[in-house]
Amino acid sequence: MAALGVGIGWRPEIDLTVERLDVDFVEVVAENLHADRLPESVRVLRERGVPVLPHAVSLSLGGADPVDAHRVAHLGALAQALDAPFVSDHVCFVRAGGLDSGHLMPVPRTRDALDVLVANVKAAQADLPVPLALENVAALLEWPDAELSEGRFLAELVERTDCLLLVDVANLYANARNLGTDVGRFLDEIPLERLAYVHVAGGQEHKGVYHDTHAHAVLPEVLDVLRQLRERVDPPGVLLERDDDYPSDAELAGELAAIRAVLA
Amino acid sequence: MTQPQRERLAAQQGELLRALLGDGEPPSGFDQERLRVEARALLNKRRGIVAALRPDLADVLGDRFRPLFDSYARAHPRQAGTRFREDAAAFADWAVARGELPAPRKQRWWRRGT
Repeated sequence: MAALGVGIGWRPEIDLTVERLDVDFVEVVAENLHADRLPESVRVLRERGVPVLPHAVSLSLGGADPVDAHRVAHLGALAQALDAPFVSDHVCFVRAGGLDSGHLMPVPRTRDALDVLVANVKAAQADLPVPLALENVAALLEWPDAELSEGRFLAELVERTDCLLLVDVANLYANARNLGTDVGRFLDEIPLERLAYVHVAGGQEHKGVYHDTHAHAVLPEVLDVLRQLRERVDPPGVLLERDDDYPSDAELAGELAAIRAVLA
Repeated sequence: MTQPQRERLAAQQGELLRALLGDGEPPSGFDQERLRVEARALLNKRRGIVAALRPDLADVLGDRFRPLFDSYARAHPRQAGTRFREDAAAFADWAVARGELPAPRKQRWWRRGT
């Protein structure tokens, strides 16, 4: 995997901040961009040679319905417009029974759900011009009757689809806190040689439950999960996600420096 | 072929979303408190997005925005294929119909006569 370095999520609200920060790559939310009219700031970053990776949130690959070809085509067109090395979405569902959850929902870790996910991922891969990386999500609830650990579920997904992995260490921390996921076991079970890059984000505890808000500072505990990953592999890239309550440039630069310190 | 798996998964996922977003019965086997936490988190996110898209609504309604939006949202789970902008517009129409918001002063041409 080619080295990406340390990056940040590009958002329209912090476009100039992202241009000023010394980042090696950025990620854009695929649903918010159009291939034929990219924001000026994104074009500036591309002209500088900064890789821009499209990150989708709406394919609902873990959903029971077949994948929506239009959403896949949009993601593929964006990858081509940005000359991106790969694209990503999540191991989750967002639509079911005619309703839209508005957020990334965990899938049951059953053989049924894995079979459907694999079929959907293969269908998306067939229509994408670049490899697809899939990300572990933060869950607030646990489906009953799990047949596989989260790590095994992802490992089998990779074995059967040859997809890449996007490991979100904040989501992993959230699941460890809220659901009792074993961080070490998760990291031992997933095929780290298929790691595309890593997400880091901030969150907050509310009434005993950790919420992956992307609107608060990154906890030292999340950096510790990154450290545990770093002990096993040198990740090709690590990207900071911030989606709300944007702090000063200096504060974001400090969070990026803290990530670099863990990787060093 | 994955049709039998898809049908079983569709039933599970549909049941969960109806319980979290609308008035569906809580599915068995889940921690009931976690279902409430998840439902609240999804509602908070939806309300936050609508407030960001339509700050005028949040301004005019003030303290009433949150309880009104939550009543609207539970009665109208967001349909797949709709956008948050449509959700915000539907909430505004709902609030106008209940007399919580004044009717928009300018009739838009495409609503004329309705």
